Amino acid sequence: MLKRTLVANRGEIACRIIRACKEAGIESVAVHAENDAGTIFTEIADISVQLNGEGLAETYLNQQQILDVAIDQGCDSVHPGFGFLSERADFAQAVMDAGLIWIGPSPEAITKMGDKMTARITMKEAGVPVIPGEEINGGIEEVIEVAPSVGYPLLLKATAGGGGKGMRAVHHPDNLESEAKAAMREALNAFGDDRIYIERLLTGSRHIEIQVLADNFGRTIHLGERECSVQRRHQKVFEESPSVALDSELREAMGSAACNAARAVDYVGAGTVEFLVTPTGEFFFLEMNTRIQVEHPVTEMVTGVDLVREQLRIAGGEPMSCRELFMRGHAIEVRLYAEDPANNFLPSIGPLKRFIAPTGPGVRLDTGVREGDSVTPDYDPMLAKLIVWAPSRKEALQRMGRALDEFVILGCVTNIRFLRELCDHPDVVDGWTTTDMIDRLWPDGWNPEITQSISDAGLLIAAACESTNHGKRILLSQEISKAPSIFSTIQRRFP
Amino acid sequence: MEFKTSEGRAEIQLTKDGSSFIHEGMILHTGSDLLLEIDGRKHKVTATKVGDTWWVHVLGHTLQFEIVEPGATKADDDGGLCAPMPGKVLEVLVTEGQSVNKGDPLMVMEAMKMEHKIIAGSDGIVETIHYRAGDQVSQGAELLSLSE
Repeated sequence: MLKRTLVANRGEIACRIIRACKEAGIESVAVHAENDAGTIFTEIADISVQLNGEGLAETYLNQQQILDVAIDQGCDSVHPGFGFLSERADFAQAVMDAGLIWIGPSPEAITKMGDKMTARITMKEAGVPVIPGEEINGGIEEVIEVAPSVGYPLLLKATAGGGGKGMRAVHHPDNLESEAKAAMREALNAFGDDRIYIERLLTGSRHIEIQVLADNFGRTIHLGERECSVQRRHQKVFEESPSVALDSELREAMGSAACNAARAVDYVGAGTVEFLVTPTGEFFFLEMNTRIQVEHPVTEMVTGVDLVREQLRIAGGEPMSCRELFMRGHAIEVRLYAEDPANNFLPSIGPLKRFIAPTGPGVRLDTGVREGDSVTPDYDPMLAKLIVWAPSRKEALQRMGRALDEFVILGCVTNIRFLRELCDHPDVVDGWTTTDMIDRLWPDGWNPEITQSISDAGLLIAAACESTNHGKRILLSQEISKAPSIFSTIQRRFP
Repeated sequence: MEFKTSEGRAEIQLTKDGSSFIHEGMILHTGSDLLLEIDGRKHKVTATKVGDTWWVHVLGHTLQFEIVEPGATKADDDGGLCAPMPGKVLEVLVTEGQSVNKGDPLMVMEAMKMEHKIIAGSDGIVETIHYRAGDQVSQGAELLSLSE
């Protein structure tokens, strides 16, 4: 059983882990950069330590500093969350070398799965089907030489990466050189490694992943699938479980392939095996994410398994508590981003002057921000994950629509309306979700459908608020009615 | 009262009835909370002011209305190419004096760990390049100017 865990992350996933620790009776230590001081995760952790330095490299990616804090604070374990150091085998090793428990798989498993080439070879050997493709070690010349043999359209991916960074689709040989340069540069900036990998882009496919869980008592199980096909710029925005594309037979086939993948690297803890599923029902191994995933809540909602709690349990040397897989109802997650979907999904910044989240049955919000915070260009623009559960897919979509209508974020442009329209789109309602669907549905970019009556109403509200000084007046009357505090008198400075 | 929106300019004459306002058959009840009445059905709405802009949440939509001071005229885009977000210039793909076609990539920027291309909106000649590779730029900063 763990006693004190350092959470080497920030924002919503840090909150998620800290809360799981609290529930399990484990003390939590948060580490944060100066510009994260006062945010939710630093407040709910039992202990918060500010990291020295600026920028990601000196703070959240600074292995030595984080490890020093863990030792100083008497932690017995480190939870890396996702992103940042979560898939750094050297950090996992350093944590273990310092005598602490790494809440995740072994450094060997991370290395084997983290390098996409080694992962492919390992998977081929384990009998898991892989997509046709080639690895590039010789720079841009080799990209140009190898591309024709893979065929167009093709996908350039960072060998070391994930999360859409360093990933480029190339539909025509003319764009190959510039896109390959961009992919290599992004890969170098994001992962410190500019090797890329070329694979055939399977259009019209679905991105479906299997959650796996393995403990130290010889048990490796899968917890069903998550369909994550709806993506923009190779980042997921809408995830659901179960997938309409899987029947119990295909689910079992993919589930057992995923378990084989995990066993092939002696995997321990929570992990995800990603597959592309073609329209004909063939499936290919994409990659294995050796960490908890952003979209893990949808699995939790339909299986009733608390994945983070299981991670803590397994790392603490106990067997997992899961019984036989039982999927119930339907869950959907959408990712709320500070971005402008009407302007090519470009990130936006601004104050969260109002932030009113929806509530009600079957609604879950995982976020690290609250009203009064500001969205800055320093970190990933994801604001929150909104998850709903309902007895059927249809009801889950209706519930998500209702929840998104209730969600108020003012002061920073978000993708809420885009997600809302997505829930009503016939292709989504019919379950025809594919990885190229956003480009397919909105080839010239998305724009909100605003009726005359909505824009008239908006104009009325803005004008009425301006003329009544809405918001300000209330503040003023509160200030007047407030009795003078003795502390304000004491603090008053005289010349 | 006049506002600037994403669709252009919009003007409105307010009709007031106590603490309620009426426009196009809709009634807005003001107070500490805002309540909008359309065809006898009521909807809770939210509004807040950030700088000179009113942000309004109504029926699942979020709209922005920038207040236009009476008599003020603001020039719209003047052919300059501005940074769509704060970030860093990674690469300048053109030189001053070079002629470019609509759709040509001019610059590569990085923000929030993603790369974005700055594309020529029209045919023209690159007049001035204001930033070099490695420079940090703020949102809205003019990156380069094109002459027709």
